[in-house]
Amino acid sequence: MSGYRVTGAGRVDRARTVAFTFDGQTYQGYEGDTLASALLASGVTLFGRSFKYHRPRGVMAAGVEDANALVSVTRGPGRFTPNLRATAVEIYEGLEASSQNRWPSLKTDMLAVNDRLGMFFPAGFYNKTFMWPRSFWEKLYEPTIRKMAGLGNSPTEIDPDHYTAAYVHCDLLVVGAGRAGLEAALAEAGSDKRVILIDEQNELGGWALSDPDQAQWLAQSVATLTAAANVRILTRCTAFGFYHDNFVGAVERLTDHLAQPGSGAREKLWRIRAGEVVLAQGAIERPLVFEGNDTPGVMLASAARTWLYRYGVAIGRRPALMASHDSGWQDAFAMAAGGVTISAIVDVRDTVDDALLRQAADLGIAVHLGSSVIGVSGRHKVTGVEIAANSGTGRKRIACDALMMAGGWTPTLHLWSHSKGTIAWDESLGAYVPDKANENVRCAGACSGQMDLGTGVVVPALPTPKDASRIKAFVDFQNDVTAKDIGLAVREGFKSIEHVKRYTTNGMATDQGKTSNINGLQLAATALGRPVVDVGLTTFRPPYTPQTFGALAGHAKDALFQATRKTGIDGWAQDNGAVFEPVSQWRRAWYFPQDGEDMHAAVNRECRAVRESVGIFDASTLGKIEVVGPDAAEFLNRMYTNPWKMLEPGRCRYGLLLREDGFITDDGVAGRISPNRFHVTTTTGGAARVLAMMEDYLQTEWPDLDVWLTSTTEQWSVIALQGPRARDVLSALDTDIDLSPEAFPHMSVRLGQICGVPVRLFRVSFTGELGFEINVPAEYGPAVWKQIVAAGQPYGITPYGTETMHVLRAEKGYIIVGQDTDGTVTPMDAGLNWAIGKKKKDFVGKRSLARPDIVAPGRKHLVGLLTEDPSLVLEEGAQIVADPAQPVPMTMLGHVTSSYWSEALGRSIAFALVAGGQERMDETLHIPMPGAVHKAQVSGMVFFDPEGARINV
Amino acid sequence: MSSLSVSTSPLPDEPFAADGVRVSRSAALQRYSLRARDPAKLAAVVGRELPGRIGGVTDGIAQLGPDEFLALLPVGTQLPSGEEEPVSVVDISSRAVGITVEGEGAAALIMSGCPLDLDRMAPGQATRTIYETVEMVLVRESETRFHIEVWRSFAPWLWQSLRLSAE
Repeated sequence: MSGYRVTGAGRVDRARTVAFTFDGQTYQGYEGDTLASALLASGVTLFGRSFKYHRPRGVMAAGVEDANALVSVTRGPGRFTPNLRATAVEIYEGLEASSQNRWPSLKTDMLAVNDRLGMFFPAGFYNKTFMWPRSFWEKLYEPTIRKMAGLGNSPTEIDPDHYTAAYVHCDLLVVGAGRAGLEAALAEAGSDKRVILIDEQNELGGWALSDPDQAQWLAQSVATLTAAANVRILTRCTAFGFYHDNFVGAVERLTDHLAQPGSGAREKLWRIRAGEVVLAQGAIERPLVFEGNDTPGVMLASAARTWLYRYGVAIGRRPALMASHDSGWQDAFAMAAGGVTISAIVDVRDTVDDALLRQAADLGIAVHLGSSVIGVSGRHKVTGVEIAANSGTGRKRIACDALMMAGGWTPTLHLWSHSKGTIAWDESLGAYVPDKANENVRCAGACSGQMDLGTGVVVPALPTPKDASRIKAFVDFQNDVTAKDIGLAVREGFKSIEHVKRYTTNGMATDQGKTSNINGLQLAATALGRPVVDVGLTTFRPPYTPQTFGALAGHAKDALFQATRKTGIDGWAQDNGAVFEPVSQWRRAWYFPQDGEDMHAAVNRECRAVRESVGIFDASTLGKIEVVGPDAAEFLNRMYTNPWKMLEPGRCRYGLLLREDGFITDDGVAGRISPNRFHVTTTTGGAARVLAMMEDYLQTEWPDLDVWLTSTTEQWSVIALQGPRARDVLSALDTDIDLSPEAFPHMSVRLGQICGVPVRLFRVSFTGELGFEINVPAEYGPAVWKQIVAAGQPYGITPYGTETMHVLRAEKGYIIVGQDTDGTVTPMDAGLNWAIGKKKKDFVGKRSLARPDIVAPGRKHLVGLLTEDPSLVLEEGAQIVADPAQPVPMTMLGHVTSSYWSEALGRSIAFALVAGGQERMDETLHIPMPGAVHKAQVSGMVFFDPEGARINV
Repeated sequence: MSSLSVSTSPLPDEPFAADGVRVSRSAALQRYSLRARDPAKLAAVVGRELPGRIGGVTDGIAQLGPDEFLALLPVGTQLPSGEEEPVSVVDISSRAVGITVEGEGAAALIMSGCPLDLDRMAPGQATRTIYETVEMVLVRESETRFHIEVWRSFAPWLWQSLRLSAE
C-alpha cells in the first residue's frame, strides 16, 4: 500500500499519473480517478465545511448522492463552477479545485463557532429571530446570514463557454447503465428499435464497476452495445428531469473532464422524446443517524467498497462497520478480501444470519450485536468510535481510522416521481418502491425495489444512552438538519412531511434528499406516532442533480437571446444615425439625431418638418392581416365595433377592437381592397394577439363563415409619407395611381405600381397632415424608401422616428392602445363612442358595454391636460389629485398616460385617465411630482387643427 | 423617375458549411397562402392539383392543415385570386425567405432546435414547425436536403442559430 492506494485493485490507469491542486496544494492521482478518490488516496479526509454549522466534512458517498464534499473548480476567467461534488469531478492534468464555505482556511474555519452555538440555531431559527425590525432584513440580516451560511460563491464573471442542444427521438430510452440498465439495452441491441442508453458517469457499468466479479460480463456487454448500430450511448450525461409524454431532459458534459477543453461546446442539452423509458437509476445506501455520523471518515459501506474496487483506494487501515443491514457485512468482507483490516462490526440487530457470523469469525473480525455507535472521536479524521449495547450499558471504545455505515437501501425514485408514477411503501425494504406508472415507463433493477442484498432493520436513529437533546446526529448532511430538528418541527405542530421539510429544510435544494428523505420520514413518523405511509413522502423535483444555467440557456444569450426583429429599412436607419427603441420584439427607429442633437432637439426638428413640409417614417412593423372570403365583411362586422358591410372597395375605415369584457384591446385602419378582401392593420405589439383572437372566434364561434385570415405583416414594407408636401414627393415618383384629392380622397386605398413594383397605396394619416402609407412587397422596401428620400430632397424630406410619431398623434388626440388604455378602458371612457356602430346588432364586447359597472358614473375617462406652466412636461404615470392639501393617503383620481412637448403648439400637452373626466372639463387638477405639485386644466384631447383642415387637402 | 427597385434579402449571400452540412439562402420564390374549406374548389380556382393529405407536397404546393396550403412556385407564377369563390388566395412572396440545409448532417442540424422526429419525415413531406422559439415551414426535399421557410424578420436569428449549432 502506498498512501491509501491499494496495489492491484481498481480500474484507474496506473500508467498515467495526473497532477492537480486542491486548495493550492499539489496532489497526484491516476487517470480514471475522481477528485474524491485521488484525495482519499493521498490521505485527505477533510473536504469541506457544512452549510450552517461549518462542521468539518469528508466524503460520505462515492457518487452524486454525496452531500458533503462540495468543491469549486476554476479553469480561468469566467470559468468558475461552485458546488461540484468531489465524487463526480474527474481529475485532469492541472485541475484547480478548492473547498468552500470556510474562512480563512478549510482546517481553521473561524465560522465553526456556529457549531458551538448550535443550540441557539434550531430549525426555523432565522424565521423566528430575524423578523423585526422588518427594515433590517435586506440590509443587515440577510447579507450576514448569507455570508455565514451557504455553499460556494456565485460566479461573478460572464461565462465565456458555449453550450449546445439537440432534440432526439428514440423508441427506448434507458436511464442508468448499471446491470439492469445494460440488460434492458442489450435486450434491444441489434433490433430495429432506436435505443438510447445514458449514464451520468464516465464509464458504463454502475455498481458493476465496483465488483470485479462482473468485470468480464461488463466488458462484453459494453462491447456488444458499442457495436450495435441502433444503440446510442451517452456517458457523462445526466437525465435531470422527466416531463410529460416521455420527454426527458439530459445534460451531457463534453469538456469538463479534459485537460485541454478546446473550443467546442462545454455541455449539450439533450431533449429526448422516448417511446418507452426504462429507469434503472439504482438505489442509494442510507446513512445511519447517530452522534458524530458526519465526522470525516464516516461513510457509506458501499462507498468504501467502491473506493477500493473501482479506484484502488482504502478508506483507512483499520475501518469499522456500523450496520443495520446485511449488505454492510458483505462490503466489510469484500474489503477484508481486498487486504483491508476490519477492526470491528457493530450491528444494531440482536441476531443476524449465522452465515455472516461464521464468515466474520473466519476473517477474525470482532462482532458486536445489539449495539450501536454512540459517538465518534476525531475532528478532521476518525480516530475511534464509542459503542454501547442498545440498552445503554457496556460503553466501550473501538480504535479505528474510518467508519462504514450500512443503513439499508433506498430505491432512487427521482425520475419516476417526476413522471408522476405512484409509489408504495415496502416494509421489508423500509422504503418506497414504484407502483403505478403514469407514462410509458418502467423501473428495472434496484430502483424498482428488486435487490439481492440481504435483510436489515429500519431504525430512525440508533439507540444512545446520551441526552438526545444535546447531540447532533445528522439526517440531511447538506442542509445541516439533525434528528432533533425534525423532532422540534413535530413538537411545534408540523404534521405533514411537506411542512416538516420546509421548516427544517430536510431534503431540499440541490441535494433533493437523496440520502436523507427516508431517515427524515422515519424520524417524523416516529415522533408523530403514525405509520410512515400516513406521513407521506416529499415530492422530488427536477433537476436530479444541479445543472448549469448555461446548458439550459444554450444559444439563447447575447444577440440570440431572442430574435430581434428588424424591418428591411432598419439598415438605412442605422446608416443614418437613428437611435433605436424596442417595441415588442421589434427594434424601431426612435429618432434621428443630427449634429449632436439631444432627443428633444431632434424630435422638435422632426415634428416641424412634418407639420411644415414632409417627413418619412418606417411603419413596417404595423400588424397586417389579409381577411379574404365571401364572408370577410360579415366577419369584420362581428369583430370590430364599427360597421363594415357598407364600406366601398377602395375605402378605409378606423376599426376598434374590444375583448368580450368590453374593454379596448386593439385598433387600426382597414382598407377594402375588393368586395371580399380586406387589408386590416393592427398595432405593432398586437399583431400576433389579434390574429390569434380572430382565429379563435372564427374556429370556435363562427366556423360557418367562409373567410380566412393570413398574416401579411412581413409581406409589406410600410413607408409613411406625411406632411403638406407629401403629394408633391409622391408625384415625383414613377406611379400609375392618380394622386389628385378628387380621385384619391383621405381614407382610401389604391392598387397600382410605384417605382416598378406593386403597391397598395393608402391615404391615411396618424399625424393630422396629408399623408400616405406606401405598402410595397417587403423585399423592395429599402429600394423604394431610398427613391422616396431622393425624390423628397427638394422639400427637405426628414426621416422621423417613433417619438415624433407619438408627439404628432397626441397633438391630434389619437390614442395609442396599450399606452393610453390599460385593459380597463371602454370606448366611452376613451371618447370613442363615434366608432361604435349604433345600429349593429352585435359585435365582440357589445353586451358588456351595457353592464351596470360600465355605464355607472364616475368611471375614469381619457381627457386632455394642459399644465398651468406651459413649459412643464408632466411625467407619464404621474398620479392626479383634486386637492393637494388633503392628508396622505390622498384620493387619486387617475394618472397621466401620455405627455410631450408640442413644438407645433409651443407648449406641453398630455392625456390622462381621470375619474369622471368628461364632467371635469376646464377644472384645475393637481399632479404631485418629485419636487413640486403641478397644476393642470382638464381639456379636450384634440390640441391641434381640431377642424381637420390639414388632412383633407 | 426610372424604376430601380431591387430586391433585398435579410440573409447573407455567402453560404456556410460545417461538418457534413451546408446552409445557403434559397433562390427567390413566388409564394401564396391558399385556404379553402373545400380543396376541390381551391384546385379549380388555381387550376392545379393539390396534395391529398396534410404534410403532402404536389408540384410545389404543400398542405399544412385541413384547409391550409402553401404554394412555393417559380418567380412570376401568378395564381387567380378566386374573387367571389369561397377560397382565399394571398400573395405572400415577400413574407418569408428560404434557407436550404443540405448534406449528411442536415437532419441533425435541424434537430438541434426543432422538436420533430425527422427520422419519421419522408422526402416529399412538409410541415409547419418551430426551431427553438421561431416558427418555420420545413420541406424535406430529399434524405439529405431540406428547405426552410421563415418569416423575413426572424431569418437572421435562425441563420445565426443554425450557424452556431453547426460549429
